[in-house]
Amino acid sequence: MTSPADNGARPRKVVVWQHDQARLQHDVIGLGDVQSDTVYGRLLVRSLTRAQLGLSLMCLSIALAVIASLPVIMALLPRARTVMVVGLPLTLVILGAGIFPMLMAVGWFYNRQASQLEARFIDLVDPVGRRLDA
Amino acid sequence: MLNVPAVAAIAAVTLLTVAVGARGVRIARTPDDFLVAAREVPPGLNAAAISGEYLSAASFLGIAGLIVSQGLGALWYSVGYTAGYLVLLLLVAAPLRRFGAYTIPDFAEGRFASRGLRRATTALVLVIGWFYLLPQMKGAGITLQPVLGTPYWVGVVALGVVVSANIAMGGMKGVTFVQCFQYWLKLCAIGIPALVLLAATGHGSARNLSPDLQPVFTHRTTLHVQTSTEFKLAGPATVRVTGTLDRARLADQTVHLPAGLHTAGTGAVLTFGSGSPVPASLTMVQPSSTTWDSPFLTAGTDGTHPLLATYGVIIATLFGAIGLPHILVRFYTNPDGGAARRTTLIVVMLLSTFYLFPAVLAVLTRLRAPELYLSKDPDSVVLALPSLLMPGRPGELLGALVAAGAFAAFLSTSSGLLVSVAGALSHDVMRGGVGTFRLCAIIAGTIATVAALPVNRFSLGLLVGWAFAIAASSFWPLIVLGIWWRRLTWVGATAGVLVGGGACCCAIVATMLGAATRSWGAALLGQPAVWTVPLAFSVMIVTSLLTQGSIPPHVEHMMLRMHLPEGLIRRTYRAGRPYTRA
Repeated sequence: MTSPADNGARPRKVVVWQHDQARLQHDVIGLGDVQSDTVYGRLLVRSLTRAQLGLSLMCLSIALAVIASLPVIMALLPRARTVMVVGLPLTLVILGAGIFPMLMAVGWFYNRQASQLEARFIDLVDPVGRRLDA
Repeated sequence: MLNVPAVAAIAAVTLLTVAVGARGVRIARTPDDFLVAAREVPPGLNAAAISGEYLSAASFLGIAGLIVSQGLGALWYSVGYTAGYLVLLLLVAAPLRRFGAYTIPDFAEGRFASRGLRRATTALVLVIGWFYLLPQMKGAGITLQPVLGTPYWVGVVALGVVVSANIAMGGMKGVTFVQCFQYWLKLCAIGIPALVLLAATGHGSARNLSPDLQPVFTHRTTLHVQTSTEFKLAGPATVRVTGTLDRARLADQTVHLPAGLHTAGTGAVLTFGSGSPVPASLTMVQPSSTTWDSPFLTAGTDGTHPLLATYGVIIATLFGAIGLPHILVRFYTNPDGGAARRTTLIVVMLLSTFYLFPAVLAVLTRLRAPELYLSKDPDSVVLALPSLLMPGRPGELLGALVAAGAFAAFLSTSSGLLVSVAGALSHDVMRGGVGTFRLCAIIAGTIATVAALPVNRFSLGLLVGWAFAIAASSFWPLIVLGIWWRRLTWVGATAGVLVGGGACCCAIVATMLGAATRSWGAALLGQPAVWTVPLAFSVMIVTSLLTQGSIPPHVEHMMLRMHLPEGLIRRTYRAGRPYTRA
């Protein structure tokens, strides 16, 4: 049985190739391929690293967009410096405190997504083992 | 003039560190235990240990000093130091933990199967490690100076001896627990004084925070000049003087000082009226082209090209953290990649909390104790603040707490650095075991101590920022491309590390020697990360594409090792088969 999160990524039966040891042992694409470094295993690992990198770069670009754009914005809008928030300069409020919750939020979001991504990959390549674990 | 509470607090911190380190001697049996504590530390504890080791002299004293002297732009250091861990979390934490190397040279050799690259990275570990040790030693020197009333070198030598001896005896097992404790100590030592002083002095008038204004005294203030000081007045002032001022001996006379430079002799007593401009020593004066509320950092004496200098610091601090030799080692005390991610997220939270307080202390200094602008070293501002704002016993105790926290910062960071430097020396240069490691700890500590004696004219923030810049221009591209890019070759990696790290070191040495003090030269050499990091990446990528024949063997196996979730590996082992072909 697969959970809805699998999105149809459930292991499929494939044609068995006589010369491929992995195929003889496990006739399903999965952990055996990853362990034995078959063509399928490589594709699986590549898809995993690509998904992980995509997630990381997305989160990184959010954080960098905020951090890297601040100096430019401050340079283009010099009058923003004179804005006072609760009696303190805006620069102090943003750089001294306001930016930190943003960093934590991005990190928290990434951690959640990365764990889910890995859980989905484990489901994909080793559904039996996952059920045994549970 | 011996400050008894401060001496007691510093002694307690030091003894505690040594005691737990000594306890580690019994636990640490194998060389492995010596270099990295056993991998059984839960994320919360581990995160506090990482933060404890990371928060150095620059964070504790340097940032507040830079904010006071250079303006709000210095806040970029605290933003960068924290955001660096977010970058680390996103791109390297879990894969690097799974790879299972202890040090950057281990990673280089394991990933690229190249002895040459290992040697290049070892050399850079030594450069960065020693470079980063200098500001810690300087911090100890200026902290003990007012507390013991001793010259600068006494603190430097004291820290060098304590740390070298402790590492030579204890190794890292003890240090893990000490580091964790020291994070909380440092947070209390900066947080409690900040909050107490804030509550005691109140928010009140924020006149000195107003944009574009030079600070003025909010009440009649008497300054006692300890040693002869040249200072700058932003505007004319009427001063009551006893002692030597501008080479004239005066006895309780009122003089009108025009704006500009003046010199007060040793022992002079100056009384400024309310509303009079604050005299600032030359190290506390900003370049005239910028103002205190400017959100940018500057380089050089003329303060031009502020955007370039600001981005230089942002790039160095964002990408330098993982390249620091003592940081990477901490990730192997996580049980697995997922725990490494959780640990890193907690580190971001712990650092965010800590970095709220240097800004509070800096603003309090500007608002309530502008007379500290006459101090000769911006880095000593935080140490002097409590007793100025709260005269008497409470201020003295708060000052002792700050001094103890500062000393904890130097102890923890320099311990971690010394373990890494001594490890690199004993393992790669002298090829020995635990005995050699002990010897190397003493050698490395001695070199750092001697080298730290002449650096007290550079600000802590600047020195630490430079160590980050070297790390960001060499190890950051090596690690991030090594983890994510299959086509990186050992030739490309070596070329990138040497060119990037070398260019950055040259720029910094040129700045230290005073090669460029103005305009573009000052910005590009003083904050080199803005061009050396892209340079290292370009060299690494182009050289790798030209040498595709030397892609390391088993690159797929490496990728598997770094990116495969541990759940799969565990299950594979349980089934009794290795997860890869040999």
